[in-house]
Amino acid sequence: MASSQTASTAGPLLQPGRRWWSGDGSGSDRLLSALGLLSFVALWWFGSLTSDFVPPIGEVLDAVPSFLTEEDIYADIADSLTRVVVSLAVAVFVGFWAAYLMARRGFWGLVVARYVDLAIGLPSTIAALLALFIFKRSEIGVFVVVVIACFPFVAITLRQGFLSLDRRLSEMSGVYRFGGISQIRNVTIPHLVPFTLASIRNEYAHAWRVVVIAELFAVNSGIGWRFTQAYDRFLLVDVALWLLVFIVLLLGTEYMILRPLERWVLRWRGGAQ
Amino acid sequence: MSPYIEVEGLKVSYDGEHLALDGVDMDVTENELVAVLGPSGCGKSTMLQVLSGLLRPIAGTARIDGKDMTRSSSDRPRVGYVFQDHRLLPWRTVAGNLELVLEAAGIPKAEWDVRIDRYLDILQIGQFRDAWPMRLSGGQRQRVSIARALAIDPAVVLMDEPFSTLDEVTARTMRQQLVELWQESSRTIVFVTHSIREAIFLADRVVILTKGPARLLEDVEVPIGRPRRYEDADITELESQIVDRVMGVWGYEEPAAA
Repeated sequence: MASSQTASTAGPLLQPGRRWWSGDGSGSDRLLSALGLLSFVALWWFGSLTSDFVPPIGEVLDAVPSFLTEEDIYADIADSLTRVVVSLAVAVFVGFWAAYLMARRGFWGLVVARYVDLAIGLPSTIAALLALFIFKRSEIGVFVVVVIACFPFVAITLRQGFLSLDRRLSEMSGVYRFGGISQIRNVTIPHLVPFTLASIRNEYAHAWRVVVIAELFAVNSGIGWRFTQAYDRFLLVDVALWLLVFIVLLLGTEYMILRPLERWVLRWRGGAQ
Repeated sequence: MSPYIEVEGLKVSYDGEHLALDGVDMDVTENELVAVLGPSGCGKSTMLQVLSGLLRPIAGTARIDGKDMTRSSSDRPRVGYVFQDHRLLPWRTVAGNLELVLEAAGIPKAEWDVRIDRYLDILQIGQFRDAWPMRLSGGQRQRVSIARALAIDPAVVLMDEPFSTLDEVTARTMRQQLVELWQESSRTIVFVTHSIREAIFLADRVVILTKGPARLLEDVEVPIGRPRRYEDADITELESQIVDRVMGVWGYEEPAAA
C-alpha cells in the first residue's frame, strides 16, 4: 500500500526502461497522438499541392455533409462490417481449434500446423483471386478469404495460450476437486481470454484490410467495391471520403469498443502492492 | 488413540525408475500440528501430494480418518492445501476464489458469505474481500490461500512451505497467527518445511526425513511449552541438537578444523 502511495505522490517519474515517447495515457500521450494526426493532415495538404491525384482537404471536407446524407453508403458500410465481424468470428473459432490441436501435438497437430504455415505464407491478394476463381463472384468467397487470412494468426496466438496453461493452478483445482467442467470454466477459459482478446484486436484490423481487397475482386457491394467504383471513374474526392470512412470505422471500433472491452475484461490485472 | 493420518511404506516414482519417496512412515493424531522436516528436494511435497490425492504411490498406503487417499473415491475426506505459492485464480476476486472451493466442496450456498467473512476476518484480510489477488501483497495472498484451505472445513490442512517466499517479519507474524489459529480451531495440520527452527516453533512433533528419496529418519517430540517465541533459548538449543543429528544424513559436512 505504501509503495503505491509513494508512486502516486512522487509525480510522473519515468519507470526504468520506459522512454518518454512511449506513452502513458497522460497529457504527453495525448499530445503525441495529436502531433501524429497533425502530421497526417500536413502530409495530405502537401500531397494535394504537389500531385493531381490527392484532392485538397477543403474540397473533401466540403463534400462530407452531402456524402453522409446518401442513404446507400450505409448499406455498403453495413455489408463490409458484417463481412468483417462474421469472418472474424469464424476465424477465431477455427483458430481456437487449430491452436488446441497444435498444442496437443500428435498427428493432427502436425497436419494442422502445416496448414497454418501455408495460410500464413499466402498473400491476401492471391487468396482473393483464388476465391474469385473458385467461388466466382459470390459472397462466400469474401468470407473464405478473410477466414484464411486471419485464422493462422489467431491459431498461433492461442497456441501460446494453451502452452502456457498453468500446471500449478490445475493442481490446485485437483486438490479442491473442481471437476472437469468447473476447471475448464474457471481455470482454462479465463487463462485463454487475454490471448483471445489480443488475437481479436490484432486480426480485426487485418480482417478489414482483407475484406476491402476481397471486395475489390469478388462482389458488388461494400467499401472495397465503392473504392473501385470511385477510382475507375477518377472521382478522387469520393476515394478520399471512402478512405476516411474506412479509417474512422477501423479506429473507432478499436478505441471505442475493443480497447475498453479488453480493459474491462482484464481489469483483474494490476501491479502488486 | 489410533492415528488420524497413517502413512505406511509410501513409495513414489515419477518416472518409474527413480524413487522420490522410498518407504516413508508417519502417523498423525487428530488435532495435532506436525511438522515434516527435510532438506530441499527430499520429497516432502511429494508426500503431501499423495495425501491430498493428487499423486498415486507405487507402493504403501496413505489414509486420512481411515479412508485410503490413494484411490479415487467420493467419500475421501476433504483436504485444505496451502501451497508454497498462493495459487489463487487471478481473474477471481478474493471472495470469488473462496466461493469456488466452497462450491466444489458441496457447501450449501446459503453458508458461503458467512464462511467467507469469518475466515477472512480471522486472517485479518476482511477488507480485501472484493479485491483482485494481483493487487495484494505476497503475505495477503498467502492469508487468502490459508482462508481458502480452512473455509471448506477440511479433515486435514496440508501446508507446503507456505511462508518460505515471504519476508522474515511477515513470515514470523504469520507463523504466530497460524499457531493461534490452530489452538482456537483444533485442526489437524501437517506443515512441511526445510527450516528446523520453523518446525520446532510451530509443532509439537517434528517428523524428520532423510535426503531424497526420503525415508523416515527420526520422530522428535518438542518438549517446549506454549506460547513460544521464535527466539526462545529452548528452541535454539533443540534446533542445534537436530542440526547435529541431521548434518551427516542430509549430506552436509562440517569444514575440517584448520
